[in-house]
Parts: sequence; C-alpha cells; structure tokens
Amino acid sequence: MPANKILIVDDEEIIVKLLSMSLRSDGYETITASSGEQGLEVFKEQTPDIVITDIKMPGMGGLELLKSIKKIDSEKEVIIVTGHGDIDSTITALQYGASDFINKPVRDEALAIALQRAKEKIAIREKLKGYTENLEIKIAEATAEIHRKSNFQLLLIKSSTDAIVAFDYDWKVVVYNPEAARMFGEPAKDVRNKMYIDDLYTPKIAKIFKNQASAKKGQNTFPWKENMLNTKDGRKIPVRYTSNVLYEKGEFVGTVNFFQDLTEIKRLEKELVQSERLAAVGQTVSGLAHYVKNILIGLKGGSYVVDVGIAKNDTEKLKTGWETIKRNIKRIGDLTQDLLTYSKQREPEFETCVPNDIVNELIELLKDFAASKGVRLLKELDTGIGEVLADPKTIHHSLLNIINNAIDACLEDEEISKRHEVKIKTFRDSNNYICFEIKDNGCGMDEETQKQLFDPMFSTKGGKGTGLGLLVTGKLIEEHKGVIEIKTSPGDGSTFTIRLPHEKAIKVDIN
Amino acid sequence: MSKKVLVVDDDSDVRSFVVTVLEENQYIPLVAQDGVEGLEMIEKMQPDLVILDVLMPRGSGIRLYHKMKTDENLKKIPIIMFTGIALRSFLKSQKVLDEFKGGEVPKPEIYLEKPVEPEELAAAIRKKLG
Repeated sequence: MPANKILIVDDEEIIVKLLSMSLRSDGYETITASSGEQGLEVFKEQTPDIVITDIKMPGMGGLELLKSIKKIDSEKEVIIVTGHGDIDSTITALQYGASDFINKPVRDEALAIALQRAKEKIAIREKLKGYTENLEIKIAEATAEIHRKSNFQLLLIKSSTDAIVAFDYDWKVVVYNPEAARMFGEPAKDVRNKMYIDDLYTPKIAKIFKNQASAKKGQNTFPWKENMLNTKDGRKIPVRYTSNVLYEKGEFVGTVNFFQDLTEIKRLEKELVQSERLAAVGQTVSGLAHYVKNILIGLKGGSYVVDVGIAKNDTEKLKTGWETIKRNIKRIGDLTQDLLTYSKQREPEFETCVPNDIVNELIELLKDFAASKGVRLLKELDTGIGEVLADPKTIHHSLLNIINNAIDACLEDEEISKRHEVKIKTFRDSNNYICFEIKDNGCGMDEETQKQLFDPMFSTKGGKGTGLGLLVTGKLIEEHKGVIEIKTSPGDGSTFTIRLPHEKAIKVDIN
Repeated sequence: MSKKVLVVDDDSDVRSFVVTVLEENQYIPLVAQDGVEGLEMIEKMQPDLVILDVLMPRGSGIRLYHKMKTDENLKKIPIIMFTGIALRSFLKSQKVLDEFKGGEVPKPEIYLEKPVEPEELAAAIRKKLG
C-alpha cells in the first residue's frame, strides 16, 4: 500500500506551504497544521501515514506531538525537522520513536531520502503484519503437508512388496512393514520398538548386517545378494537382500534392510527348467521310438524262440528265449526309470554312506560282465574318505552309467591288440569334494561327439543306447550341486571325473 | 547237405532269434558278434549266406559289407542286411566308403529292417539259397 498521505506541521506558514507544494509535485497527498495541537487534531481525523513536524513550536512542540502520536499509533512514521546542533532534542526524539531527522533549512534531497526510508519502514511493517496474519494459516498448511508427506512415505513403506526393516543406532527395530511381518512371521506390534536385531534375525543374518555397519565408513550401500533366510519359526525362504547403513553428519544412526522373497521366482525358474527338459524329451521322441523299436525286436525274437522251444519241447531254446524276453523287459524298465528320473525334479536325499563301498559293490556287479568282454576293472580307493553325508543313489546311478559307458568304449575300440581296462579312483580334491575318476583306455571321443554328450537322445551306441544315460547322470550330479568333467582323446580313451560336495557324516549315538 | 548261414550281430537277442529261424528251416547256423569276428568266420567257414547287422562295435557291418563286395573271393557270397537303421542311411554310408576307398559296391540285394517276422526272414533266406 503506498504511503501517500503526509501531515506537515510547522508554525511558519511559508515552510508549510513550500513543503506541501514540493511534496504534492512529487505525487503525495498533503495535509497541514500550524501548531502541535492542531497537528494532533488533524492526525486523529485524517490518519496520515507520515507526519513531518517542526521541533520548535509555540505551545505543543514537535516532541510533544511525536509522543502523542506514538501513543495513539506506534506504527506511524514521524519525521522531525530540527535546527542545527540541537543534540539533546534529537536524542529525546529518538527515545520517543522518531523515524528520521531533517535539518533546517529543509532540502529536497534530504526530505526525499527521509520519506523514502519512512515509506520502506511502513512497507516492511505491513509485510510483516501480513506474514503474522498468515503465519497461522501457513503453519496449518505446512503441518498438513508434512503430515501428508510422512503419511505418503509411511504408506510407501507399508505397501512395499519388499520387506523393510530398519534399526536405530542401538539395533532396536524402528521400521517393520507388513511384508516383513509376513516374511518373519512376527506381528508388528511385538517387534516395532520392542525387539532388537538378535531377537528378530537368526544369528547368521544378524551378523551379516552388523558387520556391514561396522565395516569401513563411507560405504553405506551394499549390493543385492541371495541367501536362504531361516525364520525363527523354522521356515526357509530364499531371499534377495540388501542394506543401507545410515549416517547423519558422519555419525552412525541406524541400518535399513530390504528383503525380497524369491520363493515364487525360484518356483517359476524350476518350472521353466522342467518344461525345457520335457520339451527336449518331446523333440527327440523319434530317438526314443528307435530305442523302443529295438526292445520290441528283442521281445518278438524272444517270443519266437520260446514258441519254438514249446513246440519242440526244447528246454535249451525255452531258456534262451526266456532270457531274451527278461532282458528286454529290464531294458523297458530301465528306460522308464531313466525317463522318470530325467523328467522329474528330484532333490538329493542325503544320508550317511561310504562312497568306497558303493564303488566296491559296482565293481563286484560288473566284474564278470566286463571280463566276458575282455575288459579289466581296476580300482584305487582313498581309504581316508570313510563315511560322508551324500546321496548314495546319485553316486550309484552316476557311477554305474559311466562305468558301463567306459566298458562300451573299450568294446568300440578298433585297436583290438590293446589290453583294455577301466580304472575307478576315489579321492578328495582341494575343495574337500569327494571325487570319482573313471578312466578307460577305449576308443575315446572326437570333439563332435564330446559336444553332444549331454544332448538328449544322443547316442554313440546305435539302437542299443537310449541317449538318456549320461543326461540323467548329468542331471543327478547337478542336483547334488556337483560337477562332471571329461577328458578324452580319440584312440587313447576317456576320463570322467565326478566331484560331489558333501557334509560330514553325523554320528548317531544310539544310546 | 544243409547250407551254412552266418549271422553277424552284436545283439545276443537277435542272434538267438536268427539262429532259431535258421534251425527251424534246416540250415546250419554260425554266429559272430562283430565285424572283425565276422570276417574271420567268413574266411574260415566259407558260409553260403551272411546275415549282417549294420551298427556294431569293432568293424561295423558297413565296413564288412564293403570289404566283402570288394574282395574277389568273397563278393559271390550273398548277403542279407538285417538291421534297425534305414536303407537310406546305409546307402549313404556306402557312398562315403566308395569315395574314400575308390570303386563302387552294388546295393544290397535284400535289406530287411527290424523287426521282421520269422516267416519273412525265412522267405528271404530261401530266396537266396533255394
């Protein structure tokens, strides 16, 4: 609002007139009075914004007028016009709240400056007044905004599909969202502001986050990692997690952890692998049909031989035919088993077993068959292996398959003069995996064959192989988290090495 | 006098089947379980007919067939191919061997794809040996 109305008070009429004229020409509205008393009256009536008054007047002087005006309205600006050297009066005027002084004779520039200052003061005061009036509304608005924002953040945390758990500097839980409650199985009311990190997490998980917080300063975010989350109520949840260590002005103030439940993703991954595997089986049904046809040939031939045996009452024929039929029934059984093993997801069943015993059993089982084909079975077993916790079915199946393959590789070898042998070695490697090495000096494989080894239905054995053997073996070993390695050279033979992780056998105390 | 028929097959089930068919039809059966043994038997026993499998370890039927058809002394012995693999695949393998070794071997006169009824096999043998 422009401060436009000025009251001029002076007992010298000429000065009043001159000032008034000068101010009017500058665009101000002026009113005048020729004494202190009159000035006060006019002030009360007209409420000017600024008063310019002479200090020395008969009757009520400038100071008196100033005092009276300030009493009525302390915010009015009063400019005092003084004579030279009137220090005492000046100080008194200041005490009474005069806004400015102009020396007589009044110069236009001095007046302009004084008025400008007065106007600025008024403007500031008005602004301030506006602020004060608005302050309450503004505070209310700001409070609402803060409320809205924090509600929004709370809602964000609440509705997050990640489990969010935050701890203060004392490792007390301060944030614990519904997803966290679902994951950890503890209701929020029992956790938030009540539990500490060790109450909520298993020691293993708690240790990870504590270590992160105490790790070198500056690193406050950590990459996503995967782990198995063991909840206090005994569930195992595959999770992806990360954490942020929170600092305020360099001081550790807390930690926030994020967990993503991977159960569904893991399930989908498994399903995908499963469907790929089934597709692979489907694609190669012709290979399978070929194998089944061979079994059928065996069965038909066998039943013909049996028919002849019955007709001639020839026991020898009956026996031969019956053996053929039984052998082919077994081939169908093995094929079905392989197909089932291959198409189904299987978790290894860990139990206490002695790997060397399994090798010995297999050598006993295959010895005569190998010898009849002119192949020697040798062994070199590390007796230090002893009992371990592993899946004996995986070991048995994989070794049986690979030893059989090794014998076949010897039979395939065109180098007949060679003394063929298959050597089975057991040992522990530097990772403490139990290892089985099956080494033959048979025909070996070229690069092309080696590439196709783990393809479904690939067989080097013509109609005699299902093309599933090594595939099933590979899958079993993979499920056991082990690895299979192959070294081969055409004409020199092949070496298959199976490496399986295991756990220490648990001694069960029967008493 | 009964004629000698050699069956070369690595599958004992097939051997016992063919042997039985041969016995039932009054032939003298001879057996070999791979190509190498087969060639030995042919040279030693001079059979009147060879019934030959294709896929076998140690000197496959593919090689034995090629060998017999390119050997002056053996090329007259009739052969019945008796196998699980398709004729087309077999001919392809022979072509490869022709290019590799030179010369050209005739196509098998009788090519039987397993499984085969006993009567069918017997008829094929009779056709060759009378």
